[in-house]
Amino acid sequence: MNNQLLPIVTVPEVATVVEIRDEIPEVKTFFFTFDRPEIEEAFRIRSGQFIMCTVFGAGEFAVSLPFSPENDRKHISVRKVGKVTAALHALEPGDKIGIRGPFGNGFPFEEIKGKNVVYVAGGIGLIPLRSSIVHVLQHRQEFGRVILVYGARSSRDLMYKESIREWKATSGFETYFTIDRPEPGWSGEVGFVNQLVARIDLPVEHTVAFVCGPPVMFNSVIKELKIKGIKEQNIYSTLERHMKCGIGKCQHCAIGRTLVCVDGPVYTYRQIKTLGEQI
Amino acid sequence: MYWLEKNRVRELVEKLSREYAVFGPRYDEVSEEVIFDRLADPGQLNLQAPISYNPPKYILFPHYEEILKYTYDRKSKQVAIEKFSKIQPKALVGIRSCDLTGILCLDRFFLGQEFVDEFYLEHRKKLFLISSTCVRPFPQCFCVCTDSGPAAREGFDLDLTFTGEGYLVLAGSRKGQKLVDELKLEPAGKEASSLRKKIIGESISSFDKFALENKAWISRATNRLTTGFVKPEVWEYIGNQCFECGACSFVCPTCSCFNVEDVNRIPQTDRVRTWDSCSFEGYTKMAGDHNPRKPVEDRRNKRFFCKLSYSQSKKYLRPGCVGCGRCARVCPGDIGLPNVVTYIRREITGEEDR
Repeated sequence: MNNQLLPIVTVPEVATVVEIRDEIPEVKTFFFTFDRPEIEEAFRIRSGQFIMCTVFGAGEFAVSLPFSPENDRKHISVRKVGKVTAALHALEPGDKIGIRGPFGNGFPFEEIKGKNVVYVAGGIGLIPLRSSIVHVLQHRQEFGRVILVYGARSSRDLMYKESIREWKATSGFETYFTIDRPEPGWSGEVGFVNQLVARIDLPVEHTVAFVCGPPVMFNSVIKELKIKGIKEQNIYSTLERHMKCGIGKCQHCAIGRTLVCVDGPVYTYRQIKTLGEQI
Repeated sequence: MYWLEKNRVRELVEKLSREYAVFGPRYDEVSEEVIFDRLADPGQLNLQAPISYNPPKYILFPHYEEILKYTYDRKSKQVAIEKFSKIQPKALVGIRSCDLTGILCLDRFFLGQEFVDEFYLEHRKKLFLISSTCVRPFPQCFCVCTDSGPAAREGFDLDLTFTGEGYLVLAGSRKGQKLVDELKLEPAGKEASSLRKKIIGESISSFDKFALENKAWISRATNRLTTGFVKPEVWEYIGNQCFECGACSFVCPTCSCFNVEDVNRIPQTDRVRTWDSCSFEGYTKMAGDHNPRKPVEDRRNKRFFCKLSYSQSKKYLRPGCVGCGRCARVCPGDIGLPNVVTYIRREITGEEDR
């Protein structure tokens, strides 16, 4: 890649929030552009990376990047959960934010070409997977079967409804949706994601799986995938931790011998098992 | 090697103080403790004082440091961000070998990994380091077990070894050589090298007599920690002893975890970083109160893992413990690093008592 910008390490780059979209309760998507044209031009990411986002006057938080490395609008999707994210939710279009990054390793892309790709997401676990999904769909012909299994508590907790509509229209993209309890007007599956994973026909050979969701969902889905025969080194996930620096110095995100910010956030399940800590 | 007479130390400090803020071991008038502190007067420097209560770590990695300041005017949507730049040149005189090794660990951690820490680099570039050989150990010392003393081998601008009459001086850098030249120090003679070796040898052999508080089976403990063979009961025992005060981290020459916070002062906001400790419960707590590390033993073993495991040692190119014994001195729960190593040793050998 030419003209690739090095990560913004120390001083945040100023960006403008250009559009804010309500996704699901407590979750909003913030589209942004960098104020300096040369940064806007050169900012490149890999799927699965994250940034440190400054809300001026409130602080900084780590957030995964949901947009594709190619031809996609820059945005972040954030749940209002603490002090800084609450301040972010109070912003309006035109407000400024600060960006450092991108940091972290990211999901494999070149290495998995030709393989079947299975995405399993629970709730807002779809946010970090979105980047890889869009990127793979942009290169649909270079992959085998591409499957998304997505579950949420209720239909109003399903993220990215608009994107999902587009994805469904992509030929050769298999999608399964489930919600925890039946709802009037819901025609998809009902039950937990792991139960759905157990039921459906998934490829096993030449297959990689990307799993992201709350810890309980994560563990139960891994169990089902392993029963099906998908190898631990072919199951990827992205972990989140309390982070302060993003560059491997503050040590808050240490898991076992690794730091999520530089050695992660993407790990294979085989790695996760050896880290010796809770997810 | 050069020769510095005892009574010329003052001259050395005065010379440095023209260019640098000079720090060194001195007695604190109130507590009567030896502290590594800014010298208001060259006469305060006490190179014969016992090991200082605090390591000089805070001089290049401050407890509380403003790193950025910014203003954001929501009405006009104007943002101004600036890096703080008030880092002054500093000279550290009389650093013990353990503490110098600590600085080298921090160098490798902050400067030698994937990313370079700009603020640490700024401090580090402006440092002048004068190490001092420990001619005899103190009760809490175990640097011979961690290969970090009693004399410095690298990383100094000047190194001093006290002979009784004066100091043998080694120049370790061009900056150091320049100071030697400016002070017009005489060569110490042919015997100097073997004299320094003899002094160091005597210091090492006096560990059995003076350094009675701690002995650390570092290599076996490293092996156990790295392979994960320390039983959960050992960590539980250690966890139960921990007061979660963070003192061990704060007196450790190599502990470098920090927190970052934006502090609002009208009209600007300062981004500050402050020391943090993995023993604090909130250390890993995420927004929304999810905390992946809850029990204290889970947090405790992280610290010892960080000091002694092979994977962490790769970042420092040596063990993360430098054998200064300060954690053992300050820990109210009696689980300084040497004791933890002892518990691990007991587990291996099946010994009942110490």
